Amino acid sequence: MGQDSEWQPRILCFLCRWCSYVGADLAGTSRKKYPASIRGIRVPCSGRVDPLFILKALRLGFDGVLISGCHPGDCHYQTGNYFARRRMAITKRFLEYMGIDPRRVQVSWVSASEGGKFADLVTEMTQEIRQLGPNRLFADEKQGDGTTTTP
Amino acid sequence: MALTDCLPMKSRVMEQRLRREAEALLEQGKVDWIIGFEAGSLRFTTTPLITDDKDDTKRLVVSPFANNNLSVYLTGIKGRVAIVAKGCDSRSIVSLIQDGKVARQDVVIIGVPCSGIIDLAKVEGLVGRDRDEIDDIVREGDKVSITFSGDKREYPAGEVLFDNCLACELPTPQEYDILLGEPTAARGDEEKTKSREKINSLEGVKPDERWAFWRNEFSRCIRCYACRNVCPACFCERCFVEEAEPPWVLPIPRWQDNLVFQVTRNIHVAGRCTDCGECDRACPVRIPLRSLAREMYDIVGGLFSYRAGTDKEVPPLLTCYEPTDVEDFIR
Repeated sequence: MGQDSEWQPRILCFLCRWCSYVGADLAGTSRKKYPASIRGIRVPCSGRVDPLFILKALRLGFDGVLISGCHPGDCHYQTGNYFARRRMAITKRFLEYMGIDPRRVQVSWVSASEGGKFADLVTEMTQEIRQLGPNRLFADEKQGDGTTTTP
Repeated sequence: MALTDCLPMKSRVMEQRLRREAEALLEQGKVDWIIGFEAGSLRFTTTPLITDDKDDTKRLVVSPFANNNLSVYLTGIKGRVAIVAKGCDSRSIVSLIQDGKVARQDVVIIGVPCSGIIDLAKVEGLVGRDRDEIDDIVREGDKVSITFSGDKREYPAGEVLFDNCLACELPTPQEYDILLGEPTAARGDEEKTKSREKINSLEGVKPDERWAFWRNEFSRCIRCYACRNVCPACFCERCFVEEAEPPWVLPIPRWQDNLVFQVTRNIHVAGRCTDCGECDRACPVRIPLRSLAREMYDIVGGLFSYRAGTDKEVPPLLTCYEPTDVEDFIR
């Protein structure tokens, strides 16, 4: 965190290799501006994302998790994103029940041609998470000196 | 006192028939194994009986205390098996068939129409006595009479049944080869609501308070994995918590890892969990695990109108999709 800048959230993105990763690349090559808050992981398909990845990311202290894949009907493997959609639907609802703000875990369809959408998405999600504040979900209780142990 | 002493007539008839059927199945070589219940070493308890000896079938019981979901043993047993199943257990078996873990022709399901299993902890709370001080517990229809200190008292059955039994939608097995007795009806809506009390009260509080509640609960977890081991839906040969290189969670029972384990477990068994309540009963530190399982059960029901283990022909929930599936959460 810089001295003068406001706090920058860290968002872990799981990007499908065929659509969203290329979309993110396009955002860069077409010089779209978006906050440097994301850390991307390229996955073969949004269907590859096990809900465990999301929990592990939150456990490690990421402030948000974004899962992004091809639009329905566009999956390189025909159906991977449909499976992902079901899995993410129940995951999001369940995490909400546990008490995790749904804005911390988001799902989006971004195609290879939607560089602008990707930039806007990251910008919006970063703003939302900035409002939520840092992820203290897995932090231990405050210690005597006011610091917290990060996992 | 033998457990059968506290059985009313109807159960005794079922029990006799169960023993005859089980013996015949073994004798005729139709199955290699019988999985059922026998009286436990403590009063008001049962213990699983797994046998290939027809003489052992005399020990089989039908009991209002038979709380285990025996379908958990199916995946670990070789050969043809006859298994005693209540409504929820038979759904677990169907779920295993859907997942291709068990072949339908290899199981003989001996269905027991269930009218709910008695929760001894609730009995103790109700009469204010330890289970050792209670002389008898008899279930007759929708009443339970409890005898202690020479005093016999009657209570509505709904007050002593497990929460998941109150919410049970299909107490009579839908999938069976032999059905012992007449089908029983599901319990009333009032009791269904009652069984969700814990969950509803949590849903009423702010998210950070909910998180604080679970964090507090999971700080007790000793990661014995009993919840996983009794769960018929948890059939992975290698669980993610045992992955060591690199580890997903550390084996040290810290609340953070405990929570990651349990939340992931619940997501992994979504669409397979039949709300049998075994995780909750198995927990040695009494974490209200059923609140998690039931919530997931209801999420799955609400989003996909899917009820685990009710149809052996349909594919498991997360191995299929509909183009029209819910999408309102996707940006």
